Amino acid sequence: MGMRYRQYLHGARIYGCSQCKTHLATIHSMISRAFNGQHGRAYLFEVVVNVIEGEPADRQMTTGNHTVRDIYCVKCGTTLGWKYDRAYEPSQKYKEGKFILERNLLVDVQ
Amino acid sequence: MRLTDADGFQEPSSYDSGPEAGPSSFGLDGVVGRPMGITNGHGASTNGYSNGTSGPGCGPHQPSHTRKASSSSIARVNLPGTTLYDDTFVDREEFVRLVIQSLRDVGYIESAATLEAESGYTMETSEVSKFRQYVLDGAWEQAETMLVRLGVSDEEGLWEVRFLISQQKYLELLEEENTTAALHVLRNEIAPLDVDPDQLHSLSSLMMCTDVADLRQRAGWDGVSGSSRRRLLSHLQQYIPSSLMIPPRRLSTLLGHSLQYQRANCLYHNAPLSLTSPNPKSSFTLYADHQCDKDKCFPRVTTTILEGHVDEVWAIEWSHCGRRLASAGSDRCAVIWRIGPETDSSIRTYSAEHVLRDHTFPVGYLAWSLDDSVLLTASEHTIKMWNTKTGMHIRALDAHNDTVTSLAWLPDGSGFISGGLDRKIILWDADGKQRDTWGTTSIRVTDLAITPDFTRVVAVGMHYLASLPSSGGNGRGESVTPPTGGGGAHPHNATNGSTGSENRMIIYDLATKQTEASIRLDGELTSVKISYDSQFALINQAPDEIHLWDLSTGRIARKFTGQRQGRHVIRSCFGGIDGNFIVSGSEDGNVYVWHRDTGTLLEVLTGHGAGSVNSVTWNPMNERMFASCSDDNTIRIWEAPEVQEPILTSEQDLEETAGKGKGKSRERWDGEGGSNPRPAPL
Repeated sequence: MGMRYRQYLHGARIYGCSQCKTHLATIHSMISRAFNGQHGRAYLFEVVVNVIEGEPADRQMTTGNHTVRDIYCVKCGTTLGWKYDRAYEPSQKYKEGKFILERNLLVDVQ
Repeated sequence: MRLTDADGFQEPSSYDSGPEAGPSSFGLDGVVGRPMGITNGHGASTNGYSNGTSGPGCGPHQPSHTRKASSSSIARVNLPGTTLYDDTFVDREEFVRLVIQSLRDVGYIESAATLEAESGYTMETSEVSKFRQYVLDGAWEQAETMLVRLGVSDEEGLWEVRFLISQQKYLELLEEENTTAALHVLRNEIAPLDVDPDQLHSLSSLMMCTDVADLRQRAGWDGVSGSSRRRLLSHLQQYIPSSLMIPPRRLSTLLGHSLQYQRANCLYHNAPLSLTSPNPKSSFTLYADHQCDKDKCFPRVTTTILEGHVDEVWAIEWSHCGRRLASAGSDRCAVIWRIGPETDSSIRTYSAEHVLRDHTFPVGYLAWSLDDSVLLTASEHTIKMWNTKTGMHIRALDAHNDTVTSLAWLPDGSGFISGGLDRKIILWDADGKQRDTWGTTSIRVTDLAITPDFTRVVAVGMHYLASLPSSGGNGRGESVTPPTGGGGAHPHNATNGSTGSENRMIIYDLATKQTEASIRLDGELTSVKISYDSQFALINQAPDEIHLWDLSTGRIARKFTGQRQGRHVIRSCFGGIDGNFIVSGSEDGNVYVWHRDTGTLLEVLTGHGAGSVNSVTWNPMNERMFASCSDDNTIRIWEAPEVQEPILTSEQDLEETAGKGKGKSRERWDGEGGSNPRPAPL
């Protein structure tokens, strides 16, 4: 896969991995705060960087069935949330290709 | 000068003008052409040959009639036209005069005279010879008069020559400790010339010199007995038309140009070729155009594959002695390999001397100390120092709080500089004590290098844009904030990436840490190397380009394309005997080599397996060897396919049978049938 540097974001507010401060997403990229994860409140983002995506799996969520992948921090490997590959409910299609990060696993970084 | 018919060579009366031509060589080193004042047999003449080599038949006591007798028997050859050959541009007179000059320079005085007689051309007029002798004898007034006669007429030229002559006069008088006369020259000759006040001041300050040695040292001048008059002569000669007074060693100069031209056109040039000093290994001959044999000179076959890493190899670096190779990568190990001294690659031994473990994260950078006793490794935010003799960990340096991306030792070995994605550049002592810091720079450093002349640090990286408060138009159309820096790697970010992604090369003054230049570049920058002469920086720039920057002008001098680079850290280097090759890894798994001065892509070397070739390094002691490392977990050693020294042939045959037993074999070259190079075990 070759050597890569982590990406760095800039903006008014940057969310990083609470374990290792790796940049993950900016507030500009946030779509919604109204999500819930395993650790409580979670945010939906348009773009998340520096994550490794796991294998796809179908999960039954409160809004219906989805194909999702867990996402891990590229540096420390912490599970941070998931990515939506596919939403079966037409009303939930907007989530496809978007990312969930759990608020309790994020910190503000610069 | 073509003699007129009236100057017929058979006429003894006009004959003197020819052989009186003085020395055409006055090497500044003073070895050649001491003004010996040898008469050439013509009793009255005082300005005879002074080549320092009195050839047979031209000694001071040679009876004058000998020469006349021999010369007068030479028949003048009359040729049609004015060129050397019918169909060339070379002027025959010019050519012959240069030949005469060369003959005289080496001491073939008789041959030169014969050639003058036969061709009817003389090397120079008696006036030129006289002028030379006046200068060498310190007859300043006559020299100045003669300069006018030799065509120095414009104001500026006259001013210059007068100043140069008066200055020499002044210094010589000071040397004689004749201060009164020197002062007279200063006041009545130099001062009226309206010279620059500073220059006048520094000249007059020489009056205060305590002794002659002090004078010579402070004036940067080596006295009458040294080469100062010859230097003066060469300065003065610049104002005389070269057709009158041929510049010294002119033919040799022209042949030197020819050599330079041939070398510039030799794309695979990788052999010693000295322009200034005799070199027994020099492959330059006047008989044929120079062309390096790429099969003999250029390292284009894999002679060894080093296996042992269990994951991708990202960094690779030769020790300064060229006998050891350090490699490191995502398996969190660095390895020091020892390369056997055998010149024959088929019997050379390789061993993994030390495996440097204890890295928590992958290792991305390596740097050998100047004496090769310490190896630095960079693993995430930690720098580790290792004893290369014992393989022991010396200490870990934890001043960075983000990935350390680059390490560079100072040219004097007294310490090193580290750069990181935390925007810090830190200067360390050789024992790992923090000596100085650049503070927080404006870029997240992805690589840096120090110029060998100790003047500059060239850093590349992602420009840091301070987070702006959401003001005014900031929100417009930016529902998605693109990642900066590496953003260029992601196509889907490219739409907004142009505003946020900014990469820069920053040139710092090493002594003052001041920014000399900060240049915005498009695309991710992953590698910077400096040329041997400190003039150029070689920078890998995604996507798919390598640029050679002229550091003094801040402009791109050359671009190299062909290799693939999009997402990964790919590194390149200079190589070859003159640093005239550019080598780079590539994401397509090949090694790319270009000719630096023309940008020509010379080789695309295949062999590595799937994934990127991440880095390359040219052996500093062997211009015909380099190494590459890859995502395929291996390192390849590349060499010229043929052993150079023919003496080795017999030994080679002997070793071949013995070699097989040792598991080292000649079939390590790839691309030749199915024979797989055997890996050297870790």
